[in-house]
Amino acid sequence: MTGSSNSEARLSAAAGWDRPVKKYSEFRRTVSVFFGRPLPVVGLVIITIFIIITIFGPWIAPYDPLDMDVMNSLAHPSSEHLLGTDEIGRDTLSRLIYGARTSMFIGIVVITVSTAIGVILGLVAANSTGAPHHIIMRITDGLMAFPSIILALLIAGLLGGGLQNVIIALTVGMIAPVIRITCGMALSVKENDYVTAARAMGAGNLNIMLTEILPNCFAPILVMMTMGIGATILAEAGLSFLGVGIIPPTPVWGRMVNDGYRYLLTNPELSMAPGLAIMLVVFGFNMMGDGLRDALDPRLRGVV
Amino acid sequence: MAVLLNVENLKTYFHTYHGEVKALDGVSFYIDQKETIGIVGESGCGKSVSMLSVMQLIPTPPGKIVDGKVIFEGQDLLKYEAKGDEMSSIRGGKIAMIFQEPMTSLNPVLTICRQLTETMEWHLNMDSQTARKRAIELLKLVGIPEAENRIDAYPHQFSGGMRQRVMIAMAISCNPKILIADEPTTAVDVTTQAQILDLMKEMTERFNTSLIIVTHNMGVVARYAQRIYVMYAGRIVESGLSDDIFDNPQHPYTIGLIDCVPQLGETRSTRRLVPITGVPPNLIDMPPTCAFLPRCKYQIDKCKSEPWPSLRPVGDQHYISCYVNTREKK
Repeated sequence: MTGSSNSEARLSAAAGWDRPVKKYSEFRRTVSVFFGRPLPVVGLVIITIFIIITIFGPWIAPYDPLDMDVMNSLAHPSSEHLLGTDEIGRDTLSRLIYGARTSMFIGIVVITVSTAIGVILGLVAANSTGAPHHIIMRITDGLMAFPSIILALLIAGLLGGGLQNVIIALTVGMIAPVIRITCGMALSVKENDYVTAARAMGAGNLNIMLTEILPNCFAPILVMMTMGIGATILAEAGLSFLGVGIIPPTPVWGRMVNDGYRYLLTNPELSMAPGLAIMLVVFGFNMMGDGLRDALDPRLRGVV
Repeated sequence: MAVLLNVENLKTYFHTYHGEVKALDGVSFYIDQKETIGIVGESGCGKSVSMLSVMQLIPTPPGKIVDGKVIFEGQDLLKYEAKGDEMSSIRGGKIAMIFQEPMTSLNPVLTICRQLTETMEWHLNMDSQTARKRAIELLKLVGIPEAENRIDAYPHQFSGGMRQRVMIAMAISCNPKILIADEPTTAVDVTTQAQILDLMKEMTERFNTSLIIVTHNMGVVARYAQRIYVMYAGRIVESGLSDDIFDNPQHPYTIGLIDCVPQLGETRSTRRLVPITGVPPNLIDMPPTCAFLPRCKYQIDKCKSEPWPSLRPVGDQHYISCYVNTREKK
């Protein structure tokens, strides 16, 4: 008997089982994975800077974005106007800073709302058979049949311009792909053994949906959200260009790109500056989203 | 001892494009309190389907339990809604199940702690602190070293054997009356197999749980089960006490199964292993006669004309569904 317990002790020593396992907090580990690589940090820094600009815009901006300095229209960058002025003499830098508010606000609100609605509908569709599944998915198919910009254009056209209507229009346009992806992911996750195992342990439908299926669908949804913010800012530009977006003279990046492109050869900074801002925000969100996905997934966290 | 679970004439069919698959065609078995029974048969004979039917976990559609009764503590479980609250409180609370694949039976994105405590919170109304303490105790009980530290780990940080131990801890966490182990050792290696089986035996004895072991491995049931049911093509073809089944198998299929298990001390010169020839029948297109007939060495004329016989007694608690008196023919 002693012999066997001895050999067991030796076995467990060989396996390293008797060594104390270092206690670590998963939260700290998540944070360290996120900050362990450069790109997510770059993304976070970019987003933070833009958020600061959004909040403190009125104090940072050198001019009122609506002030016209007609004598100085289409001025090139100078110490007076760092990014020059547009055709009616408004300061581009100030408009850019104020535009960050509208554009970022639209991007974040639209994505949050459409993801929330889309994920709920997607989960419901995946977890029901028969009527609810078919109704949700066929409506989704219908929405997917239109390019989202056409759909948003239709709704914005019906409701008219303005911030609130633009948000509604873009949200409806963004929901369909979220439903589609969530439902598809949930359907494949649902087939996993651990879902059956959870059922066998007495988990109810709601529990299965929220604790077993949803966390496993998280990665593609997160990626979609971060990509979607950029797409939304661009879509708003499209709506503004077609005349159903944010009502001028409210400064907004998409409109600035469109207004400036006529002067692309003489005053390239007019559309380049807001274009670059959109690019930076999209890049920032994408990088941050990738980092978040890796840091929040316990399997990836182990290897990264 | 009182009968705890009594399954009568259970029929589960699957509707497919090619026809109706009669996965279970009138299966009856029972289990007493504190008893261990084994259900043996080759792949696709309906072992797992019968367990999933008891738990009402058959995916519907395509599957459907068309007939039968599952009497547990005086209640017919099949009368309950598959997704209703009554079934949910029985699953995990009264009847727990361990699955074949430990690598995929735990949710990869939740910690071990969360998965263990969740079940206890549902069934025992524990608060999370008490549940956590009990989860640590359970992990120690199933032989996970450093349980206090490992409880916050994720499943991918555990080996297959350890995950199966976690599954066992989860299954016994709410003191179920019956533990169903659906091929619990198929995916782990031989040394771990023995440990896992011993552990399950120990746990069921400790908590007075009845144990149903579903397996295709005769060796597994020989050591642990008191009674054995042998399944073939969706039916039970032989049932009896383990000793009777191993020492004195009566159904040609059971005889074949035991003949193809090597025994200690045998060499090639003393006895060659005898395989069962042929393959199991297609469950869509079942012959009107005994489904084992094409592979049977003992067949008589009556087998070819009469339908598949129901179980008949051949000894104390020993039943076979066969016309042939194999004992005489041997």
